[in-house]
Amino acid sequence: MARGPQLKALALIPALALAAAALTACGGDGGGTAAGGVQLIASGKLTTCTHLPYQPFQVKQGDKIVGFDVDLVDLVAKKLGVQQNIVDIAFENIESGEAMNSGQCDLAAAGMTITDKRKQKFDFSEPYFEATQALLVKAGSPIKDFSNVAGKKIGVQSATTGADYAKENAKGAEIVTFDDLALEEQAVKNGTVDAGVNDNGVLYDFVKTNPDTAVVKEFKTNEFYGIGVKQGNSALVTAINDTLKAAVSDGTYASIYQKWFGKAPTWLPGNPTQ
Amino acid sequence: MALGRRQRRSAFRGAQYVLLLVIVVVFAFLANWGQIGRAFFDLDVAAQQFPDVITVALKNTIIFTALGFALGLGLGLVLALMRLSSVGPYRWFARGYIEFFRGLPALLIFLAVGVGVPIAFPDTHLPRNVSIMVALGIVSSAYMAETIRAGIQAVPRGQVEAARSLGMSPTRAMITIVIPQAFRIVLPPLANELIMLTKDSSLAFLLGTTPAQQELAQFSRQALLEAKGLTPIVVAGLCYLVITIPLSILQQRLEKKYGAGVSGGGAT
Repeated sequence: MARGPQLKALALIPALALAAAALTACGGDGGGTAAGGVQLIASGKLTTCTHLPYQPFQVKQGDKIVGFDVDLVDLVAKKLGVQQNIVDIAFENIESGEAMNSGQCDLAAAGMTITDKRKQKFDFSEPYFEATQALLVKAGSPIKDFSNVAGKKIGVQSATTGADYAKENAKGAEIVTFDDLALEEQAVKNGTVDAGVNDNGVLYDFVKTNPDTAVVKEFKTNEFYGIGVKQGNSALVTAINDTLKAAVSDGTYASIYQKWFGKAPTWLPGNPTQ
Repeated sequence: MALGRRQRRSAFRGAQYVLLLVIVVVFAFLANWGQIGRAFFDLDVAAQQFPDVITVALKNTIIFTALGFALGLGLGLVLALMRLSSVGPYRWFARGYIEFFRGLPALLIFLAVGVGVPIAFPDTHLPRNVSIMVALGIVSSAYMAETIRAGIQAVPRGQVEAARSLGMSPTRAMITIVIPQAFRIVLPPLANELIMLTKDSSLAFLLGTTPAQQELAQFSRQALLEAKGLTPIVVAGLCYLVITIPLSILQQRLEKKYGAGVSGGGAT
């Protein structure tokens, strides 16, 4: 056989591969159904989207991701009889609902506050954690709250409620947006910004290991974390809510809370949110 | 039955066309066009991006790229001359620098400059634009040094000999005779590097941004929060192409004019 056609036949291989990919891309892993009629994107797995790092809710420890959120979603996975599989993606993708609505993951557990704006893009479980906004500064900083921040730089994390809160309440300050919590915390620690605003849980956790920084103020903002689910996936929302209810009544919630925050919860899922 | 070579060839070509058509048809039927339209081409969302996407985001992308490219070109030229120097330590330093920085992802270099400097030298805070300029300059200089070196070596030896025989010093021959010609040779690969750098400027987000400092990539990601769907990314993508496509046309023109040029750095 002449050499020409043989080489051309080789050139056909990528084209065939592409065609095969096109045919399978839209089929793919059809996902699976778990207990309670919950549709999952991958069979035998509850796929969670999160944005690392968000200690102590979601944090990488060795080769595993652990945290308060992870423990709670593990309870949901157990109820469904599947394993939890955690995927780290940009928080914007979660916050815009894109990650859940496009089927990248079943749910998003990322220390995420329930807001009206987010509710328009995807569905939330019942609240599972009460959060407040807190102000992180370098130890000994003259900044104690938002009263004397004019002209100062305040670090916030992209797409968070803390960012919105700072923009509205830190009068005259220059708001600097960081892509993740660690970058924001580092910027406060090394003086790139004068203060940082983020959720209380994560900042207290940071101060524990960085005594040269301090949390000087908490702003009660009436915020609650919820687990995000694709719009209209009510079976999964029900499964999560039932799991939360059971965890509160048998004391599992309190013990997980104690494990990650070192104190008993003052608010429990199911309590009034006002 | 045995086909003639020509028949075989044309049958083969026909098969390729059919395959291509099948792929197109499959995509056309399987895709949910309404969904794609809503997700990527929502005109209302696109309209909301203006004018800021031009006056802030595109402007910053161009500024960051230009700053980085200017520094990278200067550093690259110095490094290229060091690489060709007869002084050993110069050569070793340039060699080490080029190998080191060519082998690192731009993202790490940004973190090292933007986040590392204040940690390594407490209370040293480079202005943000300087940090971006330094990071992009380091990234591009390593590539451009190799490109420029290859360009200098591509200038015919006779040019140097002629200049020397006219009584020029080696330095003067290098500056007035060799470098201008080398520069002409390396223009196309430098245009290529400028395209690369335009895309690398999207890493500026790592340094933290105020709304006025956002470049295209960061701007579109922030816009995603307000919008439903991915239209902001499409708008930002088109803005990048507004910069990069003219550059590649320019590059092709230059290649036609000056020959294929040389590429020491190679594309990433």
